[in-house]
Amino acid sequence: MTEPPEQVEQHPATGLDDVVHQRVRLGILTVAHQARRVEFGFLRTALGLTAGNLSQHLTVLEKAGLIAVEKGYEGRRARTWLTLTAAGDRALQDEVTQLKRLIQQIENARPESSAHGS
Amino acid sequence: MTDASVPVNGTPHEVLAGLGELTRKVRAAQRGTWFPLLLLGGLTTGGILVARLTHQVLTVPCVGDPAGADCTLVRQGSPLYWPIGLALAYLATAVFYVRRARNRGVGTAIRPYVLTGIALLAAVSATSLWATRNGMPQPGAPLDLWGLHLDPAAPATRLLQRLMGDALAVGLPLLVLARVERSRVLLLLAVLYLAIELVPLGTGWAGIPITSPWSALPRYAVPGALLLLGALGFALAERPRERTAS
Repeated sequence: MTEPPEQVEQHPATGLDDVVHQRVRLGILTVAHQARRVEFGFLRTALGLTAGNLSQHLTVLEKAGLIAVEKGYEGRRARTWLTLTAAGDRALQDEVTQLKRLIQQIENARPESSAHGS
Repeated sequence: MTDASVPVNGTPHEVLAGLGELTRKVRAAQRGTWFPLLLLGGLTTGGILVARLTHQVLTVPCVGDPAGADCTLVRQGSPLYWPIGLALAYLATAVFYVRRARNRGVGTAIRPYVLTGIALLAAVSATSLWATRNGMPQPGAPLDLWGLHLDPAAPATRLLQRLMGDALAVGLPLLVLARVERSRVLLLLAVLYLAIELVPLGTGWAGIPITSPWSALPRYAVPGALLLLGALGFALAERPRERTAS
């Protein structure tokens, strides 16, 4: 008789989403979450990016359904605003949860490794 | 501007710290605490002038006195001042926050503050209307408030009166604003304001007799000064951020 396979808890790193787990995109989602609605120029300054680079990341996030982009005019000035979608909000929460689990795992492993070293 | 707030190859700790720094930056861009504090402080200190201009000392027959002795009745304050003043303050705050957020390129979470303000405005207006229709209760006369039979002269009634008046109309929205802006300093200021409002700094305080046209001065000057100093402090604290942001 074979024993049922032991359930192995997945490492938190496997739960990280490749679309979200990227420096700039994670920054965009964080700013959009706090700001509720954020303008392209504010994001560019806050993240220290060129307009082209930021646009590329916004396209990736928009295609993944994590943000909604709204283009319009204020007077003669063209402005682009973006908001976080429900899926984007969930993805950001998941990412932060996984990062916290990773930290927890690293901190839990620390006493063991220091005990081996002594 | 090179402001890479989230580390490229950081540890999870560094990544979370970077996200926290970005969040603080957005909150700083969203805040405009000095403006509502300035309005509420101005409204409160303006109450001194309104009380001075509407001050009346009347001699009326004492209620429940068979001998028919005369009592002194002091009237001051306008039933229109707080409802109109608060309405304009909340309207101006909403416009200020929306325009500021649009200019800075971020959204605003001012709606809960404005909605609380409007709800309180309705409560203050209803209280003013009730007081106008029923007149000021005399000492010793029973006061019915939502089934409670209160004595206007009792300390508990006076405490309730203070809590239902300016303290509620100004202090509660400040607590909501502190929550919206995640500001511990504003929370402290709101709690301090409510504590000052609940201390019986009534008439006769600071050697000013009840019949003096300036008898309302300490009641409005102390909380008003606190709000105006708070506005000054927040305005100064926001200045360096504006300079670095530009």
